[in-house]
Amino acid sequence: MSKSTSSTIELVNKNLKKRYRAEKRFRAYGILSIGFGLLCLVVLFTDIIGKGHGAFTAHYVQIEVTLNASTLDIRDATDPEQLALADYQGVVKEALRTRFPEVTGRSDRRSLYALVSNSAGFAVQDILKADPTKLGSTVSLWVLVDDDVDTYAKSRDDAEPFIGRLSEKQIEWVETLIASGEIKSRFNRILFTNGDSREPEMAGIRGALLGSLYTLLVTLVLSFPIGVAAAMYLEEYAPKNRFTDFIEVNINNLAAVPSIIFGLLGLAIFINFFEMPRSLPLVGGLVLTLMTLPTIIISSRAAIKSVPPSIRQAAYGLGASKMQVILHHVLPLAMPGMLTGAIIGMAQALGETAPLLMIGMVAFIVDLPGSITDPATVLPVQIYLWSDSPERAFTERTSGAIMVLLGFLILMNTVAVLLRRKLERRW
Amino acid sequence: MDKLHLDQHISRQYNSDLEDLRTELLEMGGIVQEQVRDGISSISNADSDLARKVITVEDEVDAREMALDEHCTLVLARRQPAASDLRMVLAVSKITRDLERMGDEAEKVAQMALALVEEGQRSQGYVELRHIAHGVLHMVDEMLNAFARFDVDAALAVVREDNDVDREYKSAMRELMTCMMEDPHSINRILNVMWALRSLERIGDHARNIAEHIIYLVKGLDVRHTSVSEMERQVSSRSK
Amino acid sequence: MTTTSGIQDVPVNGTVGEPFVDSAKLSMRNVNVFYGEKQAIFDVSLDIGSNEVIAMIGPSGCGKSTFLRCLNRMNDTIEGCRVVGSLNLEGEDIYGAKLDVVPLRARVGIVFQKPNPFPKSIYENVAYGAKIHGLVSKRTELDEIVETSLQKAGLWNEVKDRLDAPGTGLSGGQQQRLCIARTIAVSPEVILMDEPCSALDPIATAKIEELIAELSENYTIAIVTHSMQQAARVSNRTAYFHLGKLIEVNETEKVFTNPDHQLTEAYITGRFG
Repeated sequence: MSKSTSSTIELVNKNLKKRYRAEKRFRAYGILSIGFGLLCLVVLFTDIIGKGHGAFTAHYVQIEVTLNASTLDIRDATDPEQLALADYQGVVKEALRTRFPEVTGRSDRRSLYALVSNSAGFAVQDILKADPTKLGSTVSLWVLVDDDVDTYAKSRDDAEPFIGRLSEKQIEWVETLIASGEIKSRFNRILFTNGDSREPEMAGIRGALLGSLYTLLVTLVLSFPIGVAAAMYLEEYAPKNRFTDFIEVNINNLAAVPSIIFGLLGLAIFINFFEMPRSLPLVGGLVLTLMTLPTIIISSRAAIKSVPPSIRQAAYGLGASKMQVILHHVLPLAMPGMLTGAIIGMAQALGETAPLLMIGMVAFIVDLPGSITDPATVLPVQIYLWSDSPERAFTERTSGAIMVLLGFLILMNTVAVLLRRKLERRW
Repeated sequence: MDKLHLDQHISRQYNSDLEDLRTELLEMGGIVQEQVRDGISSISNADSDLARKVITVEDEVDAREMALDEHCTLVLARRQPAASDLRMVLAVSKITRDLERMGDEAEKVAQMALALVEEGQRSQGYVELRHIAHGVLHMVDEMLNAFARFDVDAALAVVREDNDVDREYKSAMRELMTCMMEDPHSINRILNVMWALRSLERIGDHARNIAEHIIYLVKGLDVRHTSVSEMERQVSSRSK
Repeated sequence: MTTTSGIQDVPVNGTVGEPFVDSAKLSMRNVNVFYGEKQAIFDVSLDIGSNEVIAMIGPSGCGKSTFLRCLNRMNDTIEGCRVVGSLNLEGEDIYGAKLDVVPLRARVGIVFQKPNPFPKSIYENVAYGAKIHGLVSKRTELDEIVETSLQKAGLWNEVKDRLDAPGTGLSGGQQQRLCIARTIAVSPEVILMDEPCSALDPIATAKIEELIAELSENYTIAIVTHSMQQAARVSNRTAYFHLGKLIEVNETEKVFTNPDHQLTEAYITGRFG
């Protein structure tokens, strides 16, 4: 007896090292996978942040503008029509000429004017609109530089500064202005206040953000109640038969259908059949509702299923009716899970482009949408549009917009986690 | 169907606990039976050595009684027996007590034997004594058999026999009273014989009690303080 | 010598003992229960008298819980469960078309094996039944119901200072007493208990058993238990179920000292389980 025991222990000891080695290897595989994932993430983030951080700053140039009535072609500063039609670009050009009096040639002057963004005129207009008495006086203001100048200014410390279409003279002027402190880098408010634009320095994501917001709002308002109601019926009321099995299988299938199919469906139903206009957040929301419904139904059903049967039994045992059991106990207990599902569905919808392309939310829209029935685009589509644009300045804006999008996704997931923590009850 | 299925518990330990109770009780019964038999022969053969042996055996009987009691307590505490098992433990506990009393009575018979030997031998009263002793011995035998086989019929027979013994005891008493009146010199000696008779009669009573406990154990009927005919009626009406 | 399986194979012909009483609160006749194709209860007839505590014992899967849950139609929630036979609560057919299951469950309350308080406050737990049945109109009345129910359940002194604390934060035994308080807050006539102590430690069990004894003054109690000692301690009558059949019903004292049926005997003495 004791002999066999001792030999068993010997055998165990002999294998022990091998077992521990295998265990270490096993653990190492896991660490390796996580390391790989983290590495990819770090590379992605470095790339995006490296490219995109520039989008949050922009270079401004200080100019001394004389609000010369004759140059502006304004006789009466109180007349809104005259204010609207005045030649603001003229005074800006004048100011540039004043700053660089040595520039005389026609083409030289044109390239001098090109240093400043077209938006400079609007800045002047804003001043005059706010205070018409300023007419005739000289004001000093910061206006946006052209996107090429901006890109050059941002890259001039690099080994190979981006020159683009800038001529040597222009670079010389820019260097002069930077040296004298007349060109400075500031926070790029435009990015968050403007809609899309052909001029990169004036393009912003506000329109797309609002579009996304309205679209998501429609999606949430529609898909959450419908999804929860459907899940509740399927879990609590539906009889178990072939028909409900069929429905269940199909809901699961729908969750796996490529999103572009939903876009085609939306195109066929909402736009071709119901003849709704294109590019509306309303239609986008409807399409995304179709897409997120399966996700929400599946997660809601899982949440309802996870409500302990003992709670139901307790309520039934006290004589609660089915509706009371559901409303008083099942839904409140399933709510955290349902919300999590809904928010994950929303996050998915937020990042979705394909179905929206199909219903025309890919249009170039400058105006900020004011409601769900104004044409709009959404953030991921904006990213897609910008990534297609040739200007170098759009590249960094693309990355900048991706950062904003990622920020929102992280925010939504955080909210999901917090909501679940807050609503989750012990049982 | 008088089988108690003592050996069919899920717990084999429980089986052996109950089986131990039964064998221990039978062993103790054997010792007491021997004691009674020896007591009787010591008095009828005026054998003082045998009488002294009966008296010394009493210590062992007491020790066995305590051991069995402890064993019963343990089973009760550990197993919380129910139904037939519960009745088994309760019956064993009660039977032990009766057996111990029987041992006491046997000891008294032996004491009387010693006293009688000292006074010298005369055969007065011995016929009655032998007669009753025979009946009582038979009862004790039957009682132990009834327990060993959980045999209700045998137990009933013991109860019936006790009635006979009681009757004979009464007539023996009258007989010896007459003897005492005839011969006042023998009063002292006859009194000793009467004490011995009384002890034998008590042994019979204890055997009857044990038989009643056996009926309780097997049938679950409490037949104490009832007449024999009533007892038979109850037993036959409850045929499990 | 007969073997263990020999005892279990004893043929069963109807119920022995005394299944019927004079003043029956619940009276069941020829009850059969099916789960789909499988029959779980075979032809059970039993009376439960007013203010008595009846214990139902038997090996696992013998149908005692199933039978208990028929008494307030908790089996309704189980898919494919079919109950045939007559079940009456004071002359009303429990499975009749006229009887609504909601008031039935208010009259016949149930306490489950695992303490299952709602994830709400202690107060809300007890008040819930009264609220859904609309028993009270004023907050003060509700307060009163909560207090008396908790007192009857012997929990008042332990929780009166923290009625707003979650019911799930109590100990197991307290939770079970909370569930009992929740049940009696609806003033039922009958309380069904489905192994109420199997998840509790001995001290909590003792408290519940004590509570059952007190409650039996005002309520009819049917308790399913796996602990034979518990059945012996708390009940007046004991019913023994075996493989879906009701084998024996008798006074508890009789069942535990001298049962009529061999199967009962074999079960309570631990010959099989």
